[in-house]
Amino acid sequence: MTNPVSPRLQQTLVGGAVLLLALGLAWGATDISGQAGYAGVGPNFLPWLVSAALFMCGLLLLVQARSGGFRDLPEPSGAARADWTAMAWVAAGVLANAALITVLGFIFSCTLCFVLAVRGLRQSEGRPGGGLMRVLQDVATGALIAAPAFWLFTKLLAINLPGLTETGWL
Amino acid sequence: MMDIGNLLLQGFATAGTPINLLWAFLGCALGTAIGVLPGIGPAVTVAMLLPITAQVEPTASMIFFAGIYYGAMYGGSTTSILLNTPGETGTMVTALEGFKMARNGQAGAALATSAIGSFVAGTIATVLVTLFAPLVANFAVRLGPPEYFMLMLLAFTTVSSVLGQSALRGMTALFIGLAIGLVGLDQITGQVRYTGGVPEFLDGIEVVLVAVGLFAVGECFYTAMYEGRSASDLNRMDRVHMTRSQWRRSWPAWLRGTAIGFPFGTLPAGGSEIPTFLSYATERKLSKYPEEFGTVGAIEGVAGPEAANNAAVTATLVPLLTLGIPTSVTAAILLSALQNYGINAGPQLFQTSSTLVWALIASLYIGNVMLLVLNLPLVGMWVKLLKIPRPPLYAGILIFATVGVYGMRQSSFDLFLMFGIGLMGVLSRRFDIPTAPVIVGMILGPLAEAQMRNALSIGEGHWRVFIDRPMSATLLAVVVAVLVLPRAMAALRRHRVR
Repeated sequence: MTNPVSPRLQQTLVGGAVLLLALGLAWGATDISGQAGYAGVGPNFLPWLVSAALFMCGLLLLVQARSGGFRDLPEPSGAARADWTAMAWVAAGVLANAALITVLGFIFSCTLCFVLAVRGLRQSEGRPGGGLMRVLQDVATGALIAAPAFWLFTKLLAINLPGLTETGWL
Repeated sequence: MMDIGNLLLQGFATAGTPINLLWAFLGCALGTAIGVLPGIGPAVTVAMLLPITAQVEPTASMIFFAGIYYGAMYGGSTTSILLNTPGETGTMVTALEGFKMARNGQAGAALATSAIGSFVAGTIATVLVTLFAPLVANFAVRLGPPEYFMLMLLAFTTVSSVLGQSALRGMTALFIGLAIGLVGLDQITGQVRYTGGVPEFLDGIEVVLVAVGLFAVGECFYTAMYEGRSASDLNRMDRVHMTRSQWRRSWPAWLRGTAIGFPFGTLPAGGSEIPTFLSYATERKLSKYPEEFGTVGAIEGVAGPEAANNAAVTATLVPLLTLGIPTSVTAAILLSALQNYGINAGPQLFQTSSTLVWALIASLYIGNVMLLVLNLPLVGMWVKLLKIPRPPLYAGILIFATVGVYGMRQSSFDLFLMFGIGLMGVLSRRFDIPTAPVIVGMILGPLAEAQMRNALSIGEGHWRVFIDRPMSATLLAVVVAVLVLPRAMAALRRHRVR
């Protein structure tokens, strides 16, 4: 199990991302007016401060990454190498849910999310996805969580969640 | 004194109505369940349920949320003892001795001492909250914007640089949180900031979104990517029972734990990690059975930290209610629940929302009793939750994450954003970038900015205002001390070694 991307490079990327975020914030801060009033500092003060501070943090993180790695970094838990196939299934579930929730309604969209995610998570444990029976079982489990959740939150607590039909039950 | 008694009685009258008792019970039961379940904690649960603030009246929902908060602490210790994967950071220390005790067939005693210890500490701490919170509130009325700003600065400093392994990563997390808090309308001038023309950003980024993204979705992604093969084995349960000698060893530890935990919870110095570790160290030093620590498991090492944890958690209500300053992630989310109702936490709360405050405090007494019952005779029921396999558990959490995030604003844009924040959650776990400063930063940031600008207005634009006022100057000195002292001491120690 070797890591395709070295920890050094990974940490450099994290430091770089923080630097980029800082620069982005600074670029956005130029758009904010500085009308200060009595305070002497206006709405653009904190944006500049945060941007400068993040720039410093990013710079220091980069320095640490290039000189022996982040300091006092505990060994991250779990495997050394990411299971990207498993992650892809879970990500597909979450993204499909985001894209389809207004189309399919809460129950169907969340059931789909559950089926995709549970498949990915099972795969990460090294167990194969399984056949049609397995999928049907997952669909049933997902629906058994999603449907009562939908009814509980919409009927009892009056939270607005999208339905497929106007009946309020599906 | 009489006054407090009367107010508390009124609180009991409000909290004791059937509907509020039901909310308290639901909160305690749900809190215990999510405390037991790995992968989901009180902060994210309260966050997911924030949309109910649109419907449920404030007193009921605060009782409910508070029940979840300390219910999770009771439940978390069960998981720490039986599974050795602490459910919550506060119960990390419990896992040290508790898991060893369970290994040696003492699971029942460990569970008993942690549940009874939590009850003792929770109740004593609630009495202390009852007595002290009004005093602090009376004092806090006199604080002005400069002092408030300094208190918030202190909260920022401690949450980002004292907790966690690296102050640099803590600070990075804090400023990312502050940056998130900047999105939306400026509180004072109404100036639009960092919306990039996206209308969804005008209202700012909801805390539900960030908490659920970081904790629930991030956790789910992380599990799929890295934790698939990490196995965890469950300890055998036995009868929940303590022998006479175990009682004798437990109760001084409970009291010491409470004495250590409470002050730490009240300080805007965040978190229950420091007091639990301190209590563990104390018990280890004082114990008559030091050989049991780290080998067969010492009961004091469970009793003390558990008490300290619960005392600290209860005590976080003091700064939250009297100053409006959250010192833990869950407290920060409780603060945003109050904000949803348009209620400003702070010293005025004891006047303007006196019913709510006292009902909440009274519900803590009631909740502790409920939790003792839920966690002692009924502990076997919760242990069954640990048998749920991971894949459907985590996939199910995603469904509830959707309820919370979509239910808040009815926008599927937020669900995509949640995905992105989930990825950030994975990075933060992998590179040990703490998440508490992000949440505290995004909620407290806008409040701190407003206080700072108001303070500067009072000082007519001069920064001197922060050192001219004695209270504010003192607080500033404390902030500097918190930042500098640990580093200076470490440097000194290195110097001596050489």
